[in-house]
Amino acid sequence: MLTRADLAKYPFLSEAAEYVRELGLSIDELSAPEFGLVLDRAERRLEEALSKGRVSGDVSNESAEILSFPVSNLILSLVGEERARRRFALAESKRAYGLLRQEDPEKLEYIASTTFAWKVKRLDVKLGRRFYDFALSLPDFLRNSVHLREPRWNLPNRVLDHGFVYVTRDEAARLMEEEVRTKILERSGRSPDEVPKLLGSVVERAKGLVIKWLGVPTKYELPKVPLPEAMPPCVRHIIDSLDEGKNVQHMGRFTLASFLLNIGTGEEDVVKLFKPATDFSERMTRYQVEHIGGKRGGRTKYTCPMCTTLKTHGVCFKPDEICETIRNPLSYYKAKSRTLTNEGPKREPN
Amino acid sequence: MNPTEQLIRRKFQEYYLTFRKEFYLPPHPEEREYGFLLFKEKFMVRHRAFRDPSVLLGAIRDLVPAHIYFSTAYYQEPTAAMEEKGWKGADLVFDIDADHLDTPCKPSHDRWKCKGCGTVGNGGAPKICPKCKNDRMEEQTWLCEQCLRQAKEETTKLLEILYSDLGVEPSDLRVFFSGHRGYHVHVYSTQLQVMGEEERREIASYVLGQALDPQLHELDEVNVGGVRVIEGPQLGQPGWRGRMVAGIYDVLGEEGDRLGLSPAQVRTITTQDRDEFFKRPFWSSVKGFGLSTWKTLSVKAVDRRSAKIDTVVTTDVHRLIRLPGTLNGHTGLLTTRVPRERLDEFDPFRDSLAFHGEMRVRVKDSPRFQLAEREFGPYLNEEVELPSYAAMLLLCKRRAEPVG
Repeated sequence: MLTRADLAKYPFLSEAAEYVRELGLSIDELSAPEFGLVLDRAERRLEEALSKGRVSGDVSNESAEILSFPVSNLILSLVGEERARRRFALAESKRAYGLLRQEDPEKLEYIASTTFAWKVKRLDVKLGRRFYDFALSLPDFLRNSVHLREPRWNLPNRVLDHGFVYVTRDEAARLMEEEVRTKILERSGRSPDEVPKLLGSVVERAKGLVIKWLGVPTKYELPKVPLPEAMPPCVRHIIDSLDEGKNVQHMGRFTLASFLLNIGTGEEDVVKLFKPATDFSERMTRYQVEHIGGKRGGRTKYTCPMCTTLKTHGVCFKPDEICETIRNPLSYYKAKSRTLTNEGPKREPN
Repeated sequence: MNPTEQLIRRKFQEYYLTFRKEFYLPPHPEEREYGFLLFKEKFMVRHRAFRDPSVLLGAIRDLVPAHIYFSTAYYQEPTAAMEEKGWKGADLVFDIDADHLDTPCKPSHDRWKCKGCGTVGNGGAPKICPKCKNDRMEEQTWLCEQCLRQAKEETTKLLEILYSDLGVEPSDLRVFFSGHRGYHVHVYSTQLQVMGEEERREIASYVLGQALDPQLHELDEVNVGGVRVIEGPQLGQPGWRGRMVAGIYDVLGEEGDRLGLSPAQVRTITTQDRDEFFKRPFWSSVKGFGLSTWKTLSVKAVDRRSAKIDTVVTTDVHRLIRLPGTLNGHTGLLTTRVPRERLDEFDPFRDSLAFHGEMRVRVKDSPRFQLAEREFGPYLNEEVELPSYAAMLLLCKRRAEPVG
């Protein structure tokens, strides 16, 4: 079914991994002059991803193309930079999408059901003006579609028939892009036991590339003193409601406490905020705040709930433009306090 | 515990002590967490596990809880603290409760009282008090036939969506009467149980037809040889497409006049057989109906055909849910398994009774109600001798008190 040219196009395939395994190469052998091309291509893959956000589809040297992919992943895992991993995964998966969407349905089906273990059926159905080539099992569809925000990926807007979602050829390729991205993130996230000697200098060079293209990894520190102006509308609304003596439901209280503790507010100050509540009990409030802070009970420090959860429970309040770019109130705070204090790096290049 | 609670607890204890049947247990009962809500101070005993139904029954006899729950989730260590349990998966569950339905009978049997200022009203409680803007409400609800009939209808719609759209095998699905105001549907599927919250949110959204955009289902105006024609989904197409079209026929027939159709137009629709109507290119068949009217209609149709589930229950992958075969402390009725194929005939007021014999209680006030095909009430400040199941309902609902 697959040629070596296919493996070069799609080095994330199970067959490509098998091909590499069969060559039985060890990392040290990469220093041999005949593998210079492989190392070169591995570094170029990274630089392309970091600089342009795209990896080129150059497949002139098939074998170097296949072998360089796991090497790039290995280098990335040794560099250990989250930003770089994400960018590389995105760039490689975009390249895969560009190539996959041009494939015939047979090949797509084959790749989907082998490498990604999708339960997928071939279709030959035209509904309205659209032609559907595949029906994909519901869990396989959802696992990938939940990452996509356009309304057409929402389940109510899909054709769902006996546990299978109809997808066009292009949509199947797009969902596979998500699989590739997840797969690369997972692979490049595994930490190898030790840095192979040969790769030492390569890793150093890669670290340099990351700084060159993504900037110095200054960890942006949240302001020491909580900045009320940087708080998202939902949190400000909860504080206002408490101030006005209105009752706030459990989810709202939990959101407020976990949010404030996560931006470094002291427990005493959090407890104080709940004082106007009609049913305020200092002892209970302190216990619960300490529980959320991880000092009591299960000892987990709770993070703030996601925006989707807050929407479901009616805590989300008058979302603004920043809200559209974030998924958690804490990210709102991070983004806004950064612009307010004018510190830290600007957004990553896109 | 006040005297009413003591009496209820004693009757519950008797029931569980003489209980001889096997409990209905969900698949992999040993991987579940169990929880018991006690009468005493509404204390919750959680993180319990049982390998054996008889041990579970023993615990129930010891504790005599008001409510008994088990987790929809499977865990490696069900008794560990939440974050150390080792989540393996969870059944896909749906909850349909009259609390979430907008039934016209609510003002006649439900009441609310604002905890802030004492304002009272009939019907379902508003989100915030119209007088003092407080949102803490005390609710007094009643279980009524009309509400439960509506809940059953929603359940029927849900089952149809689960079978034909989600492809759930009937043998993987169980329906239960909650013992109070609704129905629970559990789906046991190895394929679906690993789904996370985000995936379940999509499924909840699908069942509700939330934010469904008819245009993404290819309802659109197109140009055919210079003529603008409206095209859209057809009857018989899978999923929401066919269902939307079928719903449109109902909406047109029932609300046509309000939508600006003449009585004659409504008649031409309702006198035709549904399938006949849809055989014609109906999207362009109603004069004066443009794309936006059809879109509004489609959204209404979807709303009618959607199943009004509680999204929180379906999305929660750590949910505790009522254990079938146990007493519901809100009513003294049993959480009862309903055979799928007999949902239609199931009568919650006949088929979920637990208590026998007679009891004498003092009723504060109670609307008229029906149990075991017998009529009771209305009562106001009177002492009555009642069949135990009826007396227990009034006691559990705090509408009656023990005598003497």
